[in-house]
Amino acid sequence: MSTENQNTNDLHDRLVDQALQEIVGDETPPDLSGKILAAANTQTEKLSTQATGDETMIANHEKGRKRWVMLAVAASLLMAVGLILPSVQSSRKAAQGSKTTSVNTKEQNKKSTEKPTDHLQLMVKPQVISEGDSSEGRDQLAPAAQHPKSQMGLQGLINEAYAATPPAETSESSTTIYELGDSKGESSSEQSGLRRTGRTTKDGRLNRNASGGVGGGGGGDFGVETLRALEPPIISTDTFEQRPQRREKWAYVDLGGPSKPERRLPAIIIESEGEEERLGIEKGSGPGTSGDQYTRIHENPFIVAAGEAAVSTFSIDVDTASYANVRQFLMQAGRLPPPDAVRIEELINYFDYNYSGPTGEVPFASHVEVAACPWHPEHRLVRIGIKGRDIQRESRPQSNLVFLIDVSGSMNNPAKLPLLVSGMKLLTRELGENDRVAIVVYASSEGLALPSTRGDKQDTILAALGNLRAGGSTAGGAGIQLAYQVAQDHFIEGGVNRVILATDGDFNVGTTSTAELERMAEAKAKETGIFLTVLGFGRGNLNDAMMEAISGKGNGNYHYVDNQTEARKVLVEEMVGTLITIAKDVKIQVEFNPAQVAGYRLIGYENRMLRTEDFNDDKKDAGEIGAGHTVTALYEIVPAGKSVDAGSVDPLKYQPGEKPASAGLANEKSGPASDELLTLKIRYKKPDGDKSTKLEFPINDNGNSFAEATPDFKFAAAVASFGMLLRNSEHRGETSYDAVLEIAESVVYMPVSGREPDPHGYRAEFLKLVQQAKNLAGE
Amino acid sequence: MSAVSEQTQVDLASLVHKHQANVWRYLRFLGATAADADDLTQETFLAVSRSSFQQRSDKQTASYLRTVARNQLLQARRREGREINTVELTAAEQVWAAAPDMDGYLTALGNCLKKLDGRATTAINRFYRDKHSRTEIAAELDMKPEGIKTLLRRTRKILRTCIEKNPAPPKNNNHDLTNRRASGDL
Repeated sequence: MSTENQNTNDLHDRLVDQALQEIVGDETPPDLSGKILAAANTQTEKLSTQATGDETMIANHEKGRKRWVMLAVAASLLMAVGLILPSVQSSRKAAQGSKTTSVNTKEQNKKSTEKPTDHLQLMVKPQVISEGDSSEGRDQLAPAAQHPKSQMGLQGLINEAYAATPPAETSESSTTIYELGDSKGESSSEQSGLRRTGRTTKDGRLNRNASGGVGGGGGGDFGVETLRALEPPIISTDTFEQRPQRREKWAYVDLGGPSKPERRLPAIIIESEGEEERLGIEKGSGPGTSGDQYTRIHENPFIVAAGEAAVSTFSIDVDTASYANVRQFLMQAGRLPPPDAVRIEELINYFDYNYSGPTGEVPFASHVEVAACPWHPEHRLVRIGIKGRDIQRESRPQSNLVFLIDVSGSMNNPAKLPLLVSGMKLLTRELGENDRVAIVVYASSEGLALPSTRGDKQDTILAALGNLRAGGSTAGGAGIQLAYQVAQDHFIEGGVNRVILATDGDFNVGTTSTAELERMAEAKAKETGIFLTVLGFGRGNLNDAMMEAISGKGNGNYHYVDNQTEARKVLVEEMVGTLITIAKDVKIQVEFNPAQVAGYRLIGYENRMLRTEDFNDDKKDAGEIGAGHTVTALYEIVPAGKSVDAGSVDPLKYQPGEKPASAGLANEKSGPASDELLTLKIRYKKPDGDKSTKLEFPINDNGNSFAEATPDFKFAAAVASFGMLLRNSEHRGETSYDAVLEIAESVVYMPVSGREPDPHGYRAEFLKLVQQAKNLAGE
Repeated sequence: MSAVSEQTQVDLASLVHKHQANVWRYLRFLGATAADADDLTQETFLAVSRSSFQQRSDKQTASYLRTVARNQLLQARRREGREINTVELTAAEQVWAAAPDMDGYLTALGNCLKKLDGRATTAINRFYRDKHSRTEIAAELDMKPEGIKTLLRRTRKILRTCIEKNPAPPKNNNHDLTNRRASGDL
């Protein structure tokens, strides 16, 4: 075979390979139309603001002709001004005389809101030269104050002429005139028939930008045409008014793109008065802006292990959203995440650990390991690990799933709806005849996009997913109601009944407050026995706080999907764990033995803390554990005899026989002497049960050094250290990014119990994250 | 002025809508990464919007867009200081131009995939759908990784022959991928 043939065959092979990537691997071409058209608009705008007439011509061969046309138009305009000026002046005199008759519609409207003197000041402007216009444009153009001066049309000239006459007012400084220019813009909008709502002076500025920006340097016709076509977005808010001209224009362009286009969305999607402000500048403006909402995390402090304070209680958490979110910040946004985006327990629980599974009736197995703490060598680190029972994919129970998909305008972003749809398609392909899927969508209102359909009808489900389009506001609460209703209608006894909510969390219509949504999710979970999975997407208006809260209350789990790999991890590789709950309301209580422990600190789980009495209260909700899930919690322990860095409390005067639990050296022994370090207690309920079962395990410390710890222990400690560094924790001790890398690298590629090390590459990826964070932190 | 400008806008929108997917695919075919293909597709249409291009037949327009896209890729590679293999680009253009339209090609591929069975189907599924490595697939099929490479290549050749023998009629809507993908789903 000749080299040429070989080359051609290779290319044909490549063509088939690429087609397979698309048809089987879901690597579809993205919809870039929004981006391209927006960029084209910006390009046009740049050309137009650079300003000479011939630059804005479409074809080179027309340049000369256009120039002549413009000159002719300019001459006509001057003649027209000569004709109109006397009548304008006479009209003005009439207006001044009567105070009730105006020269034109604009004046008529303005008189109701402005004093005559202001009005006259407004009209005092330096002379400007019009580059040309048409009579049509004269009627519709925004006036001089709305356009760059070089683009002023006939209306501007009329104003110039009119303003030139009253000598008394022309003594106003040019500064005053500029300030009043906005008001002028307003009245002109009215004249153009573009007023939509009662607007303030700020609207005029928006109109100017919308028309002037697009219109180009050659005049206003195109601008007016564009303005007409885009008239609905003239909803200007204070927020828009503050933005630079270019961004305002983006508001009228269909979207596409990571952050800037999201700024454009509000103008496209606003449907009702009052929405604008909230959908405005604070949303969708990129990483770290106030558009992303996180719950403040107050790190768990050290607690002196004395009296009732020697007991620590918390709910398990199998969410992994924070890790993916942190990864997105580091690797895609190229910046360190805000501290409140870092939930250390979710970083730790992102990884699978090699805990052996349960063998008896209990749905999970517990593992505890104690070794030296790497960031405080004099402290001990306790790792509590729980492993849920594995359920083979083929033997998973019947499923009744409802995809609740946010198709509001804020989802119209490559990192949101397209990724969401792609992820849901991955999940769909894992389903079969024993499963049912319904799709509920919500934007301005909720709706059933696909009635509950058998899982083997893949074409139908995939087609329904493929037809989803984003637009409108976000009635998330109503969507949740409908999704639960649909799930309830097709409830499978003993099966998996789950609503999978996919959203950026930017609910803005109907039920919107986190507290209300939490209550709704909690009530639905209790009433219906239906579980909830929340998948978060995108950046800019990510409501992480709300999504974490409702997943917790709705017997659910929460994951953030930042890319296709994460979608595959959550929805394919860990599908069984994501969908099948093996135990609910899982609570952990640890009682520390004061004889061994002076103080302790739970690392992470800040928003999962429970009161001591909640442990035995079956009415208190807690976290769920899925099939095969591993949950890990770390306690940093100050051994007895060491000082505890806790806050001080004054001695209690009225507590007979008790010494105060105060900071300082280890407290006295209060119970029978024991070598045990702690007692671990776990409570859980069966997925369909209401009564909890308690497990209890006494734990001893065999004094292992950190070097003697298992690889999984070391890796979890490295991840915790990383989290503390990202949070800039006061408890980070001697740790550093280099130390994290050293620990993690030493174990990432180490086979454990004959198992392939890091089969999916997640731990290797962790190393990259640490390296990136180190670079970003400048260490 | 306004009419011309607006017309240009409208034309650009329809041009983008109709051709963006194939431009993106073409760039990927020429070796651009997905992210580069995104950027270069945008650059291609922006370059066209700046030019005095006038739409002709779909085929001519597609060919023109490919030329612009190819040039954009070449420029990008020059900027990056990467070697440019123009021979390969020329050959790639010939192969692409000789292939039926991509919609038809993908539909035909979907139909041909249904005719596969046994290890070929498993290998394709694992490799393309599940993103498994050759080593993982080899372990599942009890083969050697090199054997998987050969199996995949042989299967692609079978699919190519099948597509050439059973071409599908072209579709007009480049964005209507859902049903086609669904029908080609394994």
